[in-house]
Amino acid sequence: MPEIPAVSRRLLLGGTLATGALAAGIGSAGSASAAPAAASPAASGVSDASAAAPGRRPGQKSMINVPFEVHRTVRVAVIALGNRGSGMTPGWSAVPGCVVTAVCDIRADRAKRTADQLVSKGKPRPAEYGGSADSYADMLERDDIDLVYIATPWEFHYEQGKAALLAGKHVVVELPVATELRELWDLVDTSERTRKNLMLSENCSYGRNELAMLKMAHEGLFGDVTNGHGGYLHDLRALLFSDTYYTDSWRRLWHTRSTASFYAMHGLAPVAAAMDINRGDRMTVLRATATEPKGLADYRERFVPKSHPSWRETYINGDLVTCLIDTARGRVIRAEHDVSSPRPYSRINSLAGSRGIFEDYAGVSSAGGGRIYVEPDHSGHSWRAFDAYRKEFDHWLWKKIGDDAANNGGHGGMDYVLQWRTVQLMRAGLVPDIDVYDSAAWCAPVPLSVMSLADKGRPVAIPDFTRGGWVNLRSGLDSRTTEMPPVS
Amino acid sequence: MRPARLISPLRAVAAAVAGAVLFVPAPAVAAAPQEPASAGTGVSISPVDLDGPAVSTVKVTVRNGGPQRMRSLKVSFAGPAGWAVQPSVRAVDGSLAPGASADATFRIQVPEKRPGFVIRTFTATATYRGGDGGGTATGTRAERSGTPRASLSAAYNNVAITDESATRAGDYDGGGNSFSAQKLAAVGLTPGAKVDALGAELTWPDVPAGTKDNVASSGQAVALGGKGGKGGKLVFLGSGVTSAATGSATVYYTDGSSGTGTFGFPNWSFDPVTAHGATLVKSTDGRNRQDGYGNADVKYSVFAHSVPLDPAKTVEFVVLPSNANVHIFDMAIAP
Repeated sequence: MPEIPAVSRRLLLGGTLATGALAAGIGSAGSASAAPAAASPAASGVSDASAAAPGRRPGQKSMINVPFEVHRTVRVAVIALGNRGSGMTPGWSAVPGCVVTAVCDIRADRAKRTADQLVSKGKPRPAEYGGSADSYADMLERDDIDLVYIATPWEFHYEQGKAALLAGKHVVVELPVATELRELWDLVDTSERTRKNLMLSENCSYGRNELAMLKMAHEGLFGDVTNGHGGYLHDLRALLFSDTYYTDSWRRLWHTRSTASFYAMHGLAPVAAAMDINRGDRMTVLRATATEPKGLADYRERFVPKSHPSWRETYINGDLVTCLIDTARGRVIRAEHDVSSPRPYSRINSLAGSRGIFEDYAGVSSAGGGRIYVEPDHSGHSWRAFDAYRKEFDHWLWKKIGDDAANNGGHGGMDYVLQWRTVQLMRAGLVPDIDVYDSAAWCAPVPLSVMSLADKGRPVAIPDFTRGGWVNLRSGLDSRTTEMPPVS
Repeated sequence: MRPARLISPLRAVAAAVAGAVLFVPAPAVAAAPQEPASAGTGVSISPVDLDGPAVSTVKVTVRNGGPQRMRSLKVSFAGPAGWAVQPSVRAVDGSLAPGASADATFRIQVPEKRPGFVIRTFTATATYRGGDGGGTATGTRAERSGTPRASLSAAYNNVAITDESATRAGDYDGGGNSFSAQKLAAVGLTPGAKVDALGAELTWPDVPAGTKDNVASSGQAVALGGKGGKGGKLVFLGSGVTSAATGSATVYYTDGSSGTGTFGFPNWSFDPVTAHGATLVKSTDGRNRQDGYGNADVKYSVFAHSVPLDPAKTVEFVVLPSNANVHIFDMAIAP
């Protein structure tokens, strides 16, 4: 059956279930169960200033379901070698069939140190770039790079991601891929024009519980999924005020100049995957709230010397920024962000529907501890442990490389699973699990939360970066078992 | 009137449909074996590729078996709960001549196969004007994989009975409470005891106290072991948790057909003993709590209930209700 083609601009803006006629005679009529018809944003009180979809240039086509070309070996270049970049580089080099061919950091000594570390592990010495803010551009001119991994501070992601695409490379970008709507659209357009994939480095999408939750949702254990909750709740206060952890305190400075939900995609992305966002549903409207920015100033007052440069700063980013997101199929997502309050770590990671609920991070152990209640398996109003379900619905990636992940990657192995899978997709010539549309949609709450908060929490329309392609069911992270091509 | 224009050209199809497809003029009647309809509007569903995770394509065929042209035809399709379908409804322009058929294709997201015995049920519904005048018709398709549990005891998943000296293993009601083995014995319910109810000879679980002894029903497929055969009804011995211990049991016969019946049990303590049409079998005094025996002045009961069978057919297996409030200790066929 042919897929439903992209729909008109009117439907893009309106957020209705686009159901263009497939062929003469039979068309999808839509239904209450499929898609509550959404009024146009303006008519429903939703600000639609954010919704406009730019037209495609002649010849520009969607990247939905566009596979990687087959790479016998994936040659990776790394931009930025701070905490994240230097931590991920050994993981890339450990994946079968992957080699790190170039590394770059504005501080040249970091490039040399990383190159030395790779050599000490028996890996080929990568080319080193550094010394200026433009060093990465020189590196991108190399012809022995297939994939660029970007781990710079957020403000550089868009520029460098776009440059990598224009240089003919595929790109994996740390969170967020961009911080403005026009930038997100530009990355989508650039990917479509260059025919290169850009992928958010959302390691939590490959979390073991998150993937099990996704498979359970597809099995129907939750019935019709109606709501999901996620976020990034991580007390970063000590790190934000550290003089060494975040280079030039870049992350703390964002709290002085933006009210955005910076980083909620760690929790949003897994929920979006379980709801098949961009694969049969899409996020349509966002409204944001924010608590007063108290946490950082309070921490500074208690723990930071008066001589510290941070005392010249004023923090404007609310401690808890909450985004409520509606979807075209009538679901609701709550995405939270809080890095400036005293609290144990959580990504929330909860999904619920007509037949049950899963809640992660519900226990008191350091591992979090998921709990579940699904009919007909359970009754009596008491939670059950998640363990048996995670075992049954364990994703093939974790069954296959879980041990390697534990030995090679951070964040409980999620990093390595992302890296292994990315390399496998490229070597086998498969469609990416996370594409540029997912990346843009998951990062859109960054600018949209600012817009909503500036208008007293008024709902704002979420752009359809797929330009109508979201209506078609398609596979994503819930993938079929495949082998890593052998390394010759 | 212009003829219907369809994705697939209109074509006549035979009324007979192979496989597990069931033609049922809607609404289907509970407890009645599902049989193909011999006339009227036919709705059939193509085989569904269940080799997931994948997006599969399904074709629904609607045949106008009535004397009038069929107009305003809409076809909806749904899989098991939570499975995404694209789209959920398709409309057919124009009209369908008597004897003609139309195909509508849908895409459905199929998850990875689950281990064990699984039945996936797919439903397509046609709404229309004209045709046979019925206005609506439904077709279902049930796809099976795996093997049913060999007996009810093989499906035990809950501890309902504990010794008064060791109560902590029990959790009949989700609150850590259980029947007292001593009090059950006082009314004749000892391990392996025969229980006659509603014409069936049932057996009280023949397992030690404090071990799994009953099935909290959640759609398990269970064969009747050595107690299969023919009969007029299938009797369940059990009791309920909450006041909503009801559900449908689907009986599959060796000829591939099936029938569905609804039954329920009262709550094990506080409901009227005839709630949901059940029959009281035995009552005991008190229950075992996590801290020991207690609530001695309250009755805790076991009941019997049944669903009808087609006496001409041999039972192969039963799919228990999808409601874990229904607890089952045994089941057997009665004349």
